[in-house]
Amino acid sequence: MGSNVDLSCPPPGECAALSPTALIWQDVLAQALTGELVAAMNYTALAGICGDPAEIAEALEHAQGEKGHAAAFAAEGRRIGVPVPSNVEAKHWKRLREAFMRRIAERDFIGCLIVQEIMLESFAVAGYARVGRVGPGSLGKTFAAIAAEEEEHIEHAMAILRAERDLNTARFDGKVRQLHFEVMTTLAEMLARECVHGHCEVCHGSCVKPSLFGISLSAAELRGASLQQYLRTLDKLGLPGEVTLAWVTQLPV
Amino acid sequence: MGNSIASVDERETVDTRGRVGEVNFALIGHQESWRAAADVLAVLRGPEHAPLPDDEIKDILPWIPPRAVCHVEVGSKVGAKARGIYIDSFIPPDHLDSAYLRDNLARVRGAAQCAVRAGAKIVSLGGFSSILIEGNFDLLPEKHETVFTTGNTLTVAFIVRGIKKMCALEGRDLRRSTLLIVGATGDVGSGCARCLAPLVKRVLLCARNLERLRRLAAEFESEGIEVEIATDLQQFSAHADLVVCAASLASPSFLLGRIAPGAIVCDAGYPKNLAPSAQMPDAKVFFGGLGQITGGMKFTPDFHGILNRHPFPDVVHGCLLEGMALALERRFEPFSQGRGFITTERVEEMETIAARHGINLAPLYNGDGSIEECVHTASERQY
Repeated sequence: MGSNVDLSCPPPGECAALSPTALIWQDVLAQALTGELVAAMNYTALAGICGDPAEIAEALEHAQGEKGHAAAFAAEGRRIGVPVPSNVEAKHWKRLREAFMRRIAERDFIGCLIVQEIMLESFAVAGYARVGRVGPGSLGKTFAAIAAEEEEHIEHAMAILRAERDLNTARFDGKVRQLHFEVMTTLAEMLARECVHGHCEVCHGSCVKPSLFGISLSAAELRGASLQQYLRTLDKLGLPGEVTLAWVTQLPV
Repeated sequence: MGNSIASVDERETVDTRGRVGEVNFALIGHQESWRAAADVLAVLRGPEHAPLPDDEIKDILPWIPPRAVCHVEVGSKVGAKARGIYIDSFIPPDHLDSAYLRDNLARVRGAAQCAVRAGAKIVSLGGFSSILIEGNFDLLPEKHETVFTTGNTLTVAFIVRGIKKMCALEGRDLRRSTLLIVGATGDVGSGCARCLAPLVKRVLLCARNLERLRRLAAEFESEGIEVEIATDLQQFSAHADLVVCAASLASPSFLLGRIAPGAIVCDAGYPKNLAPSAQMPDAKVFFGGLGQITGGMKFTPDFHGILNRHPFPDVVHGCLLEGMALALERRFEPFSQGRGFITTERVEEMETIAARHGINLAPLYNGDGSIEECVHTASERQY
């Protein structure tokens, strides 16, 4: 799948002067860029367990798309005059990556799709869409455009996952439940209003969450929108709403 | 709950699909207070987890999409059973007013879609949902296998029954009473007016829409009933000794000076916010429109005392009970729809259906507790 995101960046001399919110955006972009790199690594690993050449090609294409998103976020950083670091070894991202790689080790294609497309992408779509609404100029447009592309990924995976659920609903729902507590617990900790377990290892200084109000966002809003998107995605898969709500209420805050 | 993956989104009982049986009815509701919302989330979270802090609940709840929260099974005194689901629209408790109309309508519509997906045969709209939808039925999803009822007819039946019971307890003669109905042109208010106006000496009708008031008054005048209308409570020429508040009052003080000492006041609004207070020390206030199931009601998971927060067991709002009664009767029809169509005959018919299944007027109470015990105690003291 090709990316429609604009990767071009004006020459350094044309970049805007550092705005008061640039350092907040730097951290927001760093989290997004890291997430895209993890996604690219995940899709590359997924290609390794696909048997069908078409599936392999598709997974690699997705990986390429995610790298494109990462490049677009880096370009947006340059546009506002800040470098955008990434750290796929940062503790939360590392745990998410490890959870995915456990599915790879088990050659669990469906488990991989659930982790990447239902859990990680739900959070990306919701988070990027909210950021897209408040981001100035091309920054906002880039987040919004990537949110739309990630949503397409989800839709594509939904058809495969629905078919899998139809084969054995109890087994499928049990797998989602197991992965929910393995993966969503980490995502919930990342999106908690405060990082109670110490620095996330992605933000360049102190935690960006308390500063988000400076760009008309809040950690609570990002968490709420992400959980809502996740619940709606599970609804579309056909999982019972009262059960998925119970799962979500059991996540750490 | 955390270990369960049983579904309420399916119709038939098939183990491997996580299906749990036919859904006869669905109840659409929401929580009236943050305390109630916290209790609901605490049950879902399970006893092994500490309750969520209040500020987290206020952050999270507004983002929860409408969804089924539990299964409900009700029994009839004649042995019938009906299975249903409770769907929460998750309207935040501080959004229960017209400022959030658009969002709230979307939530009720989302909840209605959940009911349709679950295959519910009849759907009752509880509390604020009913008020939102009574004039907007066209906003509900169309699906012929699922019908919707506001439940207002049974609400009216229990209000009327409550008024009669309270008059009996207080030794009042209905025929000598001046009845004031606040919110008289709404579906519940006009239904109460039709049932009670022929029984009292004089009727005072209050609502915001003068034209609708005139039309309603004309119905009664043609039957020789003495009726007065006003858009402002202060405009009435007489004091009421019997009051039905079918619309929530911002404050009991609005009634001050308009009711007789010792007036019987039925708080039938939503949410219920009248209480015997320093502002109305003599008034005999009771919560109206509530019924009690005598054939048993079971929630799975167990939400007893949380979804029905009343001082008596198995007490439920009449609007929700209407759907249950019709499900027990196997009459899956939109009994109450629109605004202003509730008649004495329809109220009697619904009350008969409900009574056949052991769904009766709930014991009378208000914010201070049981009224009947107080009345009995007071009368015992006299002897």
